[in-house]
Amino acid sequence: MLAKKIALLTAGVLALTGCSDSADTATQSLAPSADTEIIVLAAASLTQTFTEISNKFELANPGVKVTISFAGSATLAEQIKQGAPVDVFASASSSAMFSVSNEIPNSKTFARNRVVIAYPITNPKNIMNSRDLNSKDLIWIQCDHQVPCGAAADEALAIDGVTAQPKSLEPDVNSVLNKLLAGEVDAAIVYLTDVFANSNLTSLEFSNNVSAATSYSIGTSNEASSAAQDFVAFVLAQSGQDVLIAAGFDAPPN
Amino acid sequence: MRRQTNNPKGSAKLNPGLALLALAGFLVLALPVLALLTRVPWSSFFEIAVSKSVLLALEVSVVTSTISAVISVFLGVPLAWYLARGPQARTRWIRPIVIAPLVMPPTVSGIALLTLMGRNGMFGKYIYEATGYSMPFTTTAVIVSGIFVGMPFLVLVLESAFRQTPIEVEEAAATLGAPPAKVFWRISLPLAKSGLIAGAVLAWARALGEFGATLMFAGSLPGVTRTMPMAVYSAIESDQGSAFVVSAILLAVAILVVFFLRSNLIKTFSR
Repeated sequence: MLAKKIALLTAGVLALTGCSDSADTATQSLAPSADTEIIVLAAASLTQTFTEISNKFELANPGVKVTISFAGSATLAEQIKQGAPVDVFASASSSAMFSVSNEIPNSKTFARNRVVIAYPITNPKNIMNSRDLNSKDLIWIQCDHQVPCGAAADEALAIDGVTAQPKSLEPDVNSVLNKLLAGEVDAAIVYLTDVFANSNLTSLEFSNNVSAATSYSIGTSNEASSAAQDFVAFVLAQSGQDVLIAAGFDAPPN
Repeated sequence: MRRQTNNPKGSAKLNPGLALLALAGFLVLALPVLALLTRVPWSSFFEIAVSKSVLLALEVSVVTSTISAVISVFLGVPLAWYLARGPQARTRWIRPIVIAPLVMPPTVSGIALLTLMGRNGMFGKYIYEATGYSMPFTTTAVIVSGIFVGMPFLVLVLESAFRQTPIEVEEAAATLGAPPAKVFWRISLPLAKSGLIAGAVLAWARALGEFGATLMFAGSLPGVTRTMPMAVYSAIESDQGSAFVVSAILLAVAILVVFFLRSNLIKTFSR
């Protein structure tokens, strides 16, 4: 009886996973065959901007197909070290980029982002400055210490004299943002770009924007084609910078 | 009554093609675990295992999963009994709902729990407005997630165990004048004992390993809501040694559970 049930369940689960796998392969084989393909691994916080930039790049470069996969920078760096195919790596953390210096020998800063205190635009808790986070009535969360958004938050909070502890140290910025959007927290420390992307959020800056900032860097792998180098140049040029700045990123330091 | 399900002498022969597939199947399951073991820093294992962050996660995990399992038993035993002996017209509809969390993606479970008990949730909203209490980010939320994902295992196994007892045995006791409660406590439950143990251990192990639903519903704060699986996830980027040590501890627990279950599941289903 149970054996039968378990077998059925297992079959069901296998069928589910099997389906998603075959769906992936199907999309790949259905995609129009391009002359050159560029594989870009990009930080999760670049999802909207890099999708837009790659669409623009493809329009400007017929015959080139850009395939992007988004994840946390540290995860992507780990994948690159394990030999995942990559032409371009765009990282939200300099330590992740540094850890793959064998595979991605040269990189350039292409944008900066900064963490801010985000809260609903209606401001029900009447948040006026960063010290309000010390209030016991205020529930707020941030990224875990080792994630770039968490490291920047730690530094900025310390400078602003916030000693209260967050209710949770989330593994990535999307997880922080989701809880804020779900209304489970009063405030959250996320990137300014996240606030730009959500019209029902507003934000408050930390007093020291240098410590709150993170740098995004981009580089090509050793075997990268000239198309991959063109893509990096495209991101660094006006074409890419316009998209990034419209999304709330800051230009790289000169 | 005992069914002979295995061949103790192992004299059955697989044809080479099937044997090869069986070997491939074994390797698919065994190699990742082996790879994991090669990365565990054995020389500093003990030192890392008693470090503050690992001990905190261990404590949160053991306490919450045990409470989850105990509550799952309290609520799951009557539920399994109802599914085994209740009117089929109803149990046919109740059973799929009870078992669904077993195959639900954890993030869906997390969203479901938030939608009910979050500060803006269906119930959670009224509780928050009336008392100022909100369940997310509390240890209670970790326990509730554990119950949600673990109890279905207990119910599934225990219902089958209850069904193994011929209904005539219970009817005979009733005809002899035993009230229903006495029949349940003196006959049905004792006969399903190994099913109860197996189900409770499975529910506990499932709660111990829970990650996705807990992260969504309870968050992750050391000493409050950060369980061992979350500690692994958090450490993998910064402190790989402790990520592998905690993984090895969880793996050891999994293996112990499997050995323990082997005997209890066989007892349950080969009567």
